[in-house]
This record gives sequence, structure tokens and C-alpha cells, in this order.
Amino acid sequence: MTSDMHLPPAFTTQRSARGILQWLNAPERRGPLLVAPAILTLFLVNILPLLWSFGLSFFNYRANRQAAPRFDGLDNYGDLLTDDRVWERFVTTGMIVAGSVGLQLIIGFGLALLFAKKFPLRRILLMLVLTPMMLSFVSVGIFFKLFYDPSLGLLSWIVGQFTGEPFAILATPAGAISAIVIADAWMWSPFVMLLVLAGLVSVPDYLYEAAHVDRASGWRRFRTITLPYVKGLILLALLFRTIETFKTFDLVYLITAGGPGSATETVAVYAYRLGFQNFRTSEASALAYLILFVVIVLTSLYLYLVNRRDAEAAS
Amino acid sequence: MKKYLLACTAMFIGSTAMAEEIVIRMAAPDWGPTRFMQEHANETYSAPSGNDVTLEIDFIPWPNFFDRVNASLNSGEQRYQMIVSDSQWLGNFIEAGHFLRLNDYIEESDELQAIMADLHPALVAGYSTYPHVPADEIEALGGYSPEMNYYGFPQFPDNYFTYYRNDLFCDEGENAAFQETYGAELPCAPEAWETVTWDDWRNFGEFFTRAAGETLAGVELTEDFYGIAYQAGKPLDFSTMQINAFFWQWGGGIWDESNEPNAEVIGVVNSPENIAAFETYLSLLDYAPPIAQTGQMGIFEIQDLYMQGRIAAIIDWAALAGPVVDPSSSTVADVTSFGLMPGNILNGDLDRSANLGGQPFVLTTWNDEETIQEALDLVIWWLSEDTQIAAVQAGGQSGMMSVLNNPDYDSWAPWNAQFRQSLPWQRDLWHIPEMFEMLTQQQEEFDRAITGQISAEEALNAIAEFQDELLRDAGRLE
Repeated sequence: MTSDMHLPPAFTTQRSARGILQWLNAPERRGPLLVAPAILTLFLVNILPLLWSFGLSFFNYRANRQAAPRFDGLDNYGDLLTDDRVWERFVTTGMIVAGSVGLQLIIGFGLALLFAKKFPLRRILLMLVLTPMMLSFVSVGIFFKLFYDPSLGLLSWIVGQFTGEPFAILATPAGAISAIVIADAWMWSPFVMLLVLAGLVSVPDYLYEAAHVDRASGWRRFRTITLPYVKGLILLALLFRTIETFKTFDLVYLITAGGPGSATETVAVYAYRLGFQNFRTSEASALAYLILFVVIVLTSLYLYLVNRRDAEAAS
Repeated sequence: MKKYLLACTAMFIGSTAMAEEIVIRMAAPDWGPTRFMQEHANETYSAPSGNDVTLEIDFIPWPNFFDRVNASLNSGEQRYQMIVSDSQWLGNFIEAGHFLRLNDYIEESDELQAIMADLHPALVAGYSTYPHVPADEIEALGGYSPEMNYYGFPQFPDNYFTYYRNDLFCDEGENAAFQETYGAELPCAPEAWETVTWDDWRNFGEFFTRAAGETLAGVELTEDFYGIAYQAGKPLDFSTMQINAFFWQWGGGIWDESNEPNAEVIGVVNSPENIAAFETYLSLLDYAPPIAQTGQMGIFEIQDLYMQGRIAAIIDWAALAGPVVDPSSSTVADVTSFGLMPGNILNGDLDRSANLGGQPFVLTTWNDEETIQEALDLVIWWLSEDTQIAAVQAGGQSGMMSVLNNPDYDSWAPWNAQFRQSLPWQRDLWHIPEMFEMLTQQQEEFDRAITGQISAEEALNAIAEFQDELLRDAGRLE
């Protein structure tokens, strides 16, 4: 008895290329083999660095030093969680998320209600309204940096017409946070609008007609017909935008560089500074995982709300 | 005759076969001095070794330059044989093993020794030595000494000085009004700036700051006009570069890396001299464009506003002077002159200390000996008198004393006299790897003070406390 007996015939007695191809092409292997390159690529460029950086977060390592990494256990996490600067950045990020996502929901919902109706030039206007979310972050960041410039910017010029003074919105912490919120909301309100609009156009007309016959008020029609149809999509928009805004880097970096002082420095910008300016590679990795943890908590919260809603609907 | 021809042919074929193609790839900021280096090398450089050596520069925009170089070096891709590095990055990349120590090569080469001896000591101190050796010690050692560790050569030396509108500073009406208010004349000729102090600078700022509708040199203004501006920006090292000049001119200082571990932070960084200097710096921002209130007034912003004719005088680097005197990019090209940066009277003398700008270029550590020799030959070519003169005539600067002392030097660019005169006053920021953390935190605290969130004293106390802790942790303070 030889070991060949445990191998497929294609690899033992008939070693021809045709035999191997036949073996590979078997229906039970075809699917896994077709997705294998994609899985391998995903593993190499995504999963492996993720695991690597997770491991690194437990070490003391700096990318700009020749010293070998030293195991530090949970020290990096402990240091970050007891560092006032990190908490300040989380609070700043929270303020930007709350302001921006809130504004996006209000504006996005209002726009969706507007575009749910038929009116002349609707399609062209819809395309124009969608434009900001199609632009690159760099373009939007530089546009708003110039827009807010107190000497050359349009905002300062408009305010100056009333006050006679240049207006430097980025000069105060509150103003700078508002400036980031406005830029982010300008860019992403169309995304919210698009999701809500998809819900609005799916509401059957006969429900509104029936409500009209029953002489239901506008608010009641909205609460009992419109809202249940779009609620799931609003939650989805809330989830997407919260996660994305939580990771805001580009707009902050371009418009304020985190200033004045550190008033607009989000936790993502701080992670960048830790990793790529201060070369505290391990700490930056640990902070990135803390950010990931918050994002996972937010996602779980969303899934809980959706499941509860489904359970309510079923009952 | 036939034999002679055959021998010549054989020699030609032999030499062609032996000549190797070598590419020296260099990462460099994308601006005039490096563009010139590439063009001039393409046109004039031939390697003395007989090899076919090509200089290939990767031009990278300055705002992204550090990120790109840093990513390349830390990734281990070993793409570059040479790199233009900001002087402050030296320690970081040397200690990471990326930049080559040059002492052995300089020792073996009379040409390189002659270059090191001919370089201005302020540039050797800032661009080449690590651990850092101050310029006065280098001067005392005669310019070159094997006792120091050398890493870089000047690619583009730079320092800042005043750009001013001569149509305003020389206007008779404005002069009369200024004389009436301040009892002094406006500095019209570049030489007149040799006695200008920060008090005078404040007066220029106050005098020329005007609202739309007022007149300036007999013309009614349609937009607000601002008196003065200098770097006050959070990104990169903008604020620090200007504020350090105030510290030194007021008799204060920064943590002295050349004297570690004995140099102190507490009481130096937040000394009464530094606090007074920083308060003066902040008070002068009152006459700057309103962008100063946002902490975003970097070197490019003030250059833009000046070129648009919105500011009477600014302080900026020589590297940015070219577009200012180019009519295709500047509305004030024909009416711009250059003067020394103002100074502070310290112990009876006018102190003009300032933070060195510009960049050295260095060799990387992963090249074979032949490539290193070719790269050093390129260095020798770049720092040769002919090449340096061509570079200066194309708008660059030289750090070679033999070129600076050329009687025609000042005539090659309208700001050359100011560059030459201010060179001895240049000092540099720290070069240690911890520089990045120190700079980031310092920029943040300066920015808080610039935007009025905290006082000068509070900012300097916070900086001193942070640096003291950081440097103790790093073992650089006892």
C-alpha cells in the first residue's frame, strides 16, 4: 500500500494537466477556487495588517527607531484611557458628530420631502444637490478653507456687509467646530436625502388617499404613514453618518489643522499625529482600536434598535 | 596607422563596456532650487568616474513632503539614494538608520574637506552635524573637524527677511504723515532697514493698517489694507520659526540640545525673557490680516496676500521671493524691495537672531560603495563654485563662503544682500528625534495664545512642563 492511495487520481496515476484541470473544475471546488484570489487579497491587504496592528498595540514600538518591539501588555490602552488629551479629543469628536449628523438629518430629511414632490427642473436640481457628496474630501476641504478665509473668503465678505468687520469663524473654538460641522453637513446631507427619498417614494399613494378620506391631519399622516416607512432608512443613514463622522480626518486636517489650539482635533487626527508625527506607533495602533471599539458599539446599538423595531412590527 | 586605429577602437569599446549606468534618485521638495538642480544636472553633469550617472529627482509638494519621505524610509522600500531633508529631521532619520554618516568619506576626500571648510558655520551646524554642534564651536574648530559627525550638505540654504512695498515706504505723502505721527522716516531704501527694530515694525503696522474707503499713497482703497505680517500658523513649524527669533533676540532661548543632559527646560523655555518676547510677538499680530486670528497665517498665506497688494510689509523666506517679483504672479512685482528682518536692541546692540531655514541633502545608508561615490561626486558638482554661482543666478542661494564673498553676489538677486547679511545670525531648532513631539505640542500651545485662548505665559509654562517630562523620559535631561 502506498501513500498515493490517499491522493486524488489526478495527482497520482494521471499527472496530466488535463487531469488537474478536471479535478479543479469539479462543481464542489469551482466556487471556493473562484473566490480564493479575492479572499487572499483581502487577507493580505486588510486582515493581516489589521491583526498586525492589533498585535502591535500591545507592544512598545516606534517606527522611527531601530529598537525591537517590547511587550507592554495593556499599558498602551491604560495610558490612553487615562490621558486627558485623548478624552478631550473624544469629546471634540462627539460634539462634531452630534452637530454634523443632527444637521445632516434635518437638512437631508427636508430636502427629501421637497424632492419627493413633482416640480419643474426637479431632476436637474436633484443632480446639483447630490454633487457635494461626489466631490473629494480634499476639494471640499480646500473650498471651505477659502470660503472661511477672513481676508479673501466669501463668508467674511457677506458678514462684513452687515458688520463692517472681517469675520474670522475659525478664530474661536466654537466657531471652528461650527465651521467643520457646516462643511461636513454640506457634503453629506445629500446622502441622507437620498436614503430618505428612497423611503418616501416607496410609500403607496393609496395610504395617503385613505388618510385624506379619513381627514387625518398632516402631522398624523406624517407620523402614522411616512415615518414608519422611512424610519429604517433614517436609522441606516444615522448609522452610516455617525460612523463616518466619528472617523473624520480630512476636513479637519485641511480646514483647521485641529486648531485653534486643539479645539477641533478629532480622535482620528490625534491618532494620525501620534502615529505619523510623534512616531508612537504602538500607542497610535491602540488608539485606532479604541476608535474601532466605539464604532462597533455604535453599530451594535443600531442593530439592536432595528431588531427591536422589527420585533414591534411583528407583534 | 592601422594598428593605431585598431587600438583606439578597442579602447573605445572597452571604455564603453566598462561605463555603468547609475541612477541617483533623490526625494526633493517641488520648488525652484530643486527644479534648477535637475535641469542643470541634465545639461551639465558628467560623472568624473566615466560612468553614465543620472540624477533623477522625485519632486514632491512641500506640504506633503515629510509624510512621503517618512513613509518611504520607514517602509524600507529603499527607493532613494539621496534625500533633501529639513534640518530638524536629521536626528530622527539618523537614529532610525536611514541617513549615512559621512565622516569616513570626507576624511578620504580633499574636495569634500575643502567644501566643509568653505561652508558657512551656521549651515554646517544646522544642516550637517548630529549630535548638534553650535556654529561658534564649528568656527572655533576651523570649519571642519573629524571630531564632529557629518551627515548633510546644503541643497538650498534659506533665511527670512522683510519684503516691503517701496511705492508706500518711499511715498512722499506717506512719509510726511509718518514723520508727523512717529517723528521718524519710513525706511525707503533697503539699507535703511539695517536699523529697524520691532518697535519701528509696530509703527509701520499701525500706520499702514487702513480700512476700505481710506486713502493709501493718494489712492482710495476698495478693500481693507494691512500693515505687517509674519508667520503665525499652526501647521508645520510656522509659528515656531518666527517666535524662536523673538526668544533669541530678547536674550531668551530654547532647550539647548548641544548641552544635554545638563541643559534645563524649566526656567529657560518659560523664562521672563521668553515671555516678554512672546508677548511682543503676539501684540504685533494686531496689525496683521485677520487670518492671524485663526492661527492659519502660514508662509504661503502671507505671500499670497502680499502678492495681491493687501499688506505693506511681510517677513518671509528667500525661497518664496521669486513669485513675488514675477509680474505674472504678483500685482506688486515692480514695487517690491527687500530689507533685513527687524531686530531687538539687546545690551545696546541690535540683535537679529533668527531661525535657519532651507534644507540639506543627505545620502541614504543602503547604497553600495560605487553608488555612494557617485552620489558624493554629485555633491561635489553641486557645491562647486560654477554650479553654485549658476544656482544663485537662477534665484537660489549659496552657503559657500567663496561664493557669498563674490563681489557680484548681491547683484544676482534683489534679496541676496539681505540673505548674506543675515546668515551669521541664523540658529536652528532641535534636531533630536523627540523634536516632532516637542514641535507639535509647542505649535498647539502657540496657537492657543495666538487665537487668544491663553496668555503668553500660560503657553510657555505648558510647553516647558511638557518638554521637561518628555526629555526626562527620553533620558536627555538629568
